[in-house]
Amino acid sequence: MRHAMKVAAVMSVAALTLAACGDSGNDSSPSGSGSSDSGKKSDLKVGMAYDVGGRGDQSFNDAAAAGLDKAKKELGVETKEAAAVNGENEAAREERLQQLVDAGYTHIVAVGFAYAASVGKAAKDNPDVNFAIVDDASDDSKGANVDQITFAENEGSFLVGAAAALKSKAGHIGFVGGVNVPLIKKFEAGYIAGAKAVNPNIKIDSQYLTQPPDFSGFGDPAKGKTAAEGMYQKGADIVYHAAGGSGGGVFTAAKAAGDGKWAIGVDSDQALTAPADVRDKILTSMVKKVDVAVYDFIKSAADGKELTGPNEYNLAKGGVDYSKTGGHIDDIASKLDDYKQQIIDKKITVPTTP
Amino acid sequence: MNRLNPRRILLGLSAPVLALIVAFVITSIILVLFGDPVREVWSTILKAPKPRQTVQIINAATVYYLSAIAVAVGFRMNLFNIGVDGQYRVAVFAAAVFAGQAWLPGFLNIIVAIIVAMVAGGFWASIAAYLKVKRGVSEVISTIMLNAIATGVVSWLLLKVADRKEGSNAIATKTIPESSQLEGLKLIPGATNRVYTLIVLAVVVGFLYWFVLGRTRFGFDLRATGRSESAAVASGVNVPRMVMTAMIASGALAGLIGMPLLFGQDHNYGTTFQSGLGFAGIAIALLGRNNAIGIAFASLLWAFLDIQSNALQITAGVAQEIVFIIQGVILFAVVIAYELIRRTDKRLEQQRVARELAAQRKAQPATEGAPA
Amino acid sequence: MTQPAAQQPTGAAPAVELEGITKRFPGVVANKDIAFTVRRGTVHAIVGENGAGKSTLMKILYGVQRPDEGTIKINGQVVELHSPSDAINAGIGMVFQHFMLADNLTVLENVVLGAEKLHGIGDAARQEIVKISDSYKLGVDPDALVADLGVGARQRIEILKVLYRGAKILILDEPTAVLVPQEVDELFDQLAELKDEGLTVLFISHKLDEVLKVADSITVIRRGTTIDTVDPKSVNARQLAELMVGSELPSPTTEESTVTDRVLLRVDHLVLGGGTGRPVLDGISFTIHAGEVLGIAGVEGNGQAEIVEVIMGMREPTSGKVFLGDQDISDWHVREIREAGVGYIPEDRHRHGLLLEAPLWENRILGHQTEEPNIEAGGFLIDAKDAKADTERIVKEYDVRTPSIFVTAGSLSGGNQQKLIIGREMSHHPKVLIAAHPTRGVDVGAQSSIWDHIRAARREGLAVLLISADLEELIGLSDTIQVILRGRLTGEFDPDTVTAEDLGAAMTGAGHKNGADDAPRTGDGDGEATTRHTDTHTHDRTDAHDKEDQA
Repeated sequence: MRHAMKVAAVMSVAALTLAACGDSGNDSSPSGSGSSDSGKKSDLKVGMAYDVGGRGDQSFNDAAAAGLDKAKKELGVETKEAAAVNGENEAAREERLQQLVDAGYTHIVAVGFAYAASVGKAAKDNPDVNFAIVDDASDDSKGANVDQITFAENEGSFLVGAAAALKSKAGHIGFVGGVNVPLIKKFEAGYIAGAKAVNPNIKIDSQYLTQPPDFSGFGDPAKGKTAAEGMYQKGADIVYHAAGGSGGGVFTAAKAAGDGKWAIGVDSDQALTAPADVRDKILTSMVKKVDVAVYDFIKSAADGKELTGPNEYNLAKGGVDYSKTGGHIDDIASKLDDYKQQIIDKKITVPTTP
Repeated sequence: MNRLNPRRILLGLSAPVLALIVAFVITSIILVLFGDPVREVWSTILKAPKPRQTVQIINAATVYYLSAIAVAVGFRMNLFNIGVDGQYRVAVFAAAVFAGQAWLPGFLNIIVAIIVAMVAGGFWASIAAYLKVKRGVSEVISTIMLNAIATGVVSWLLLKVADRKEGSNAIATKTIPESSQLEGLKLIPGATNRVYTLIVLAVVVGFLYWFVLGRTRFGFDLRATGRSESAAVASGVNVPRMVMTAMIASGALAGLIGMPLLFGQDHNYGTTFQSGLGFAGIAIALLGRNNAIGIAFASLLWAFLDIQSNALQITAGVAQEIVFIIQGVILFAVVIAYELIRRTDKRLEQQRVARELAAQRKAQPATEGAPA
Repeated sequence: MTQPAAQQPTGAAPAVELEGITKRFPGVVANKDIAFTVRRGTVHAIVGENGAGKSTLMKILYGVQRPDEGTIKINGQVVELHSPSDAINAGIGMVFQHFMLADNLTVLENVVLGAEKLHGIGDAARQEIVKISDSYKLGVDPDALVADLGVGARQRIEILKVLYRGAKILILDEPTAVLVPQEVDELFDQLAELKDEGLTVLFISHKLDEVLKVADSITVIRRGTTIDTVDPKSVNARQLAELMVGSELPSPTTEESTVTDRVLLRVDHLVLGGGTGRPVLDGISFTIHAGEVLGIAGVEGNGQAEIVEVIMGMREPTSGKVFLGDQDISDWHVREIREAGVGYIPEDRHRHGLLLEAPLWENRILGHQTEEPNIEAGGFLIDAKDAKADTERIVKEYDVRTPSIFVTAGSLSGGNQQKLIIGREMSHHPKVLIAAHPTRGVDVGAQSSIWDHIRAARREGLAVLLISADLEELIGLSDTIQVILRGRLTGEFDPDTVTAEDLGAAMTGAGHKNGADDAPRTGDGDGEATTRHTDTHTHDRTDAHDKEDQA
């Protein structure tokens, strides 16, 4: 009973404070649904719900943020951002989207497949608001007001795989995946296919840093470094990573491994975004243009043509690509562009599973 | 003469009130130091929740409550089951796989799946219990390691049984049949979402916890062991068996944690399933002082802070992680305050006993004129 | 040991003069009108029961607490002691019962710690220590590591510490509690040395024979006030004890024999292995009949505790059997043994007898969780209502002084805790009662009532196993006394004829052939035994609650 009384006190105090502060609250935006007939550009209010890590993760979320920034600059839209908390509940994701709706945001971008079910539900509850989800095209997120954005990571990875095979002197390359999930397997599949298209006998080491639900493989450079070191020691001379923040470790390992060892970046052009001391070790990067897709979604809305339904950003649409920063692959660019054209022309079909 | 004298109530109230004030002050200082808008943060957190958020608070509290009770069972006999986290994940995975098979119709499927979860959780906990009883391994260490093993085992099995949906990047077990999905209860007027049906599970567990610990012989033995193992041994409690039973019970209760989520929300177990619930349970059990009612209020407070902090990024532009600081400070302050109050209480009681006895002596014809 | 015949000159102002010292705590008056005078160059003892107010008085003298009323004069000057450093400045030093030494430092380092300003921490300090050590014959090596030193040596370091800080008046709080007899003698020699050098010693104790041996003057405190100051030459231990408790001292006496020929407890060749070494119990056999009290005498640590643990089922014997009546209970579990009618008064009630943080009524259930009136619904539920009612009954019948049955057991005094335990055990009508040190740490009033209860149990036909370090208690209550030494029963004595000295000799192995033909050799090895038997049974080993009131 004693304990009960104590905690009762907590709650009553909490309740009192609540009552006191409840109406003195801030200028909460009027809730309700904004209209989607955004003829005037500046009327558009875009909310962005990031995955864990949020803006500043130097990876996926940052790519989405770049698209948002571009839209803000060019279209003058009003924006609001919120990031997920590690290990959170489905309800928390739903609530985040709903909070954005309540705050009057008419176009909401959810970054990451974790939002699939939440977007599906929020879209149903708020038919007047338009949603976009990155990296999901499942029934969970499906809706008349949902833009399901996916990328042909396998196609982009095919190109860097081909680049690796062309550049490898050892005939031995590696792949480091962050977490063993289907999405990352798609990277692996394309990479292998690309490398084998160049050199059917090439040796490819593959390793995943963690198994779900442990997602630390996307943010643990130490793990990435250990994995890449192993590959370089075993003779691989080029390692491609699809491991988010862990990729930093892969670059460090490449630097330590010395001349003739290379790393390949992912998502953005990492020869521009990685720490300066390792940039020269980045052969190329598989660029996944989340910014393009996000900007597309906002731009279309601004133009009055809401994007909905599944939209795969592939090579043909310029959604994925390889980067040439540093000039390390200028000598093989024509070969890569040739492969690119074959894929666009559907002469080559890139597998999605290894 | 009675148990609920005003002094005790006052002392009892002061600990949590103090903890809340300390948390408020420290968090405010941190916000000021880092140039964040203090006023907006508090007005967001302390704003009256909307009906929708009230439902979310109740739902989150339901899950926290189950977790904290599972932890508290161990705490009451000085067993630190840090492994609730691993136990609930093993359990919810087992239940999700079982329920996903839809071998049994609707409601029966739920009941049996819940039993499967309890068995799985209890089994996982029994490993730590066995190691403690037979090999003298500290349950703190073994459960922490079992948490890590649980993560590995569950992800390995999840990849094996994963049911991949077209166009989705998530991996999850097979979704349970619709007949076994619980829609929820419309308890809060004006809310579009619903309270987990399995809130009844929390109510039942809470009642049983109170009843078994407070009223039964088993509960007495368990509490006696927690208060003084040596005295319990001398009183005839079979302590190793007690450790085994309590640990397995704790694990079986941990098995229930994921059930409201599984049947009322996610409908499968996958990569996006909520994690870390076991650790929250430890904090909440401490805050609620292992008391069935206390834990209920502590869970609500925790859930309230969690849900209210959701809007922080949007209204105040402050990372929602600030709420972890608030929760951590509350916990720290409350644990210290409880200990201070326990000591004060003990001292005051000794003084009171002395005083009342002195008064009694005075009332009788004194043979000895000495005071004291 | 020997007191100097000549007293110090009386012309100088007394070292300490207390007048009208009163200290109140909320609801309790700890000290009232304390007044006495300590002459310089004497050993002045302060005796009183636990809780009589000695420790409060010492805290006042050492500046830890301030009196509400009264004056303290040191060397004729009125002083106000606000803190221990004031006390040190006034020349008062305190040697605590529990040593405050850092094991991993040397003697020198321990002594200078906190007094670095006096003589630095180097050679000057070392010289000073050697000087003090030599002039008071303390025999302290400044460079020895404290961890390597025995208890006696550590105590000398504590004394040296306060001398180093310039103390002229030393307060020693229960200094002999931690010492073995030889060390006690050494300490007394050193006190004589200090006295000869003109220092004044305040010696707090409740061991009356020691006090009589060492003190030049004795002040008796009872219930917070000074009763009298007496000359040790004019009183004996018994008179002193009566002054302390304020009434005729109860003495344990047996009534006429109630021993029957019905065997209730039989222990047969009990052996308990002690790892690789000598067995802890080595072939223990005895029988106790209905109506018989078997006393076991022995220096602590000779196997008494283990006999109890084996009988109670808390430890498995390596070999040998325990029979309750005709039943072999050797491999029974504690609960079964208790249910079968074995009552248990544990040696350490705080560890084995009570849940200190639980209310009295829950403690009434402890140990009898499966028995009426504590249970209902076939033993599944605890019957709180009946248990509470029965606790009320026990509180009344066994005179447990408590304001309520809802206070925690830890807030009661030792005697009342023990009465509650005895009431609880006797309420289940045991056939056998195992009583280990039943009056240890309880006050005199409770002691005599506990003795009454044991006598009553005997009259009712219980078989009682009484283990005690108090030889007077053993002699007074037992029908037979067995002496235990190194895990063996080494002699049987008839309490009607045996003396404490005989037992003491047997306990220390001075005459371990047999009790009957054992020549009384009280001269050797009896220090411990005689020290114990005139002890007034008030040493509370458990300082969990430093209460100022004993009911």
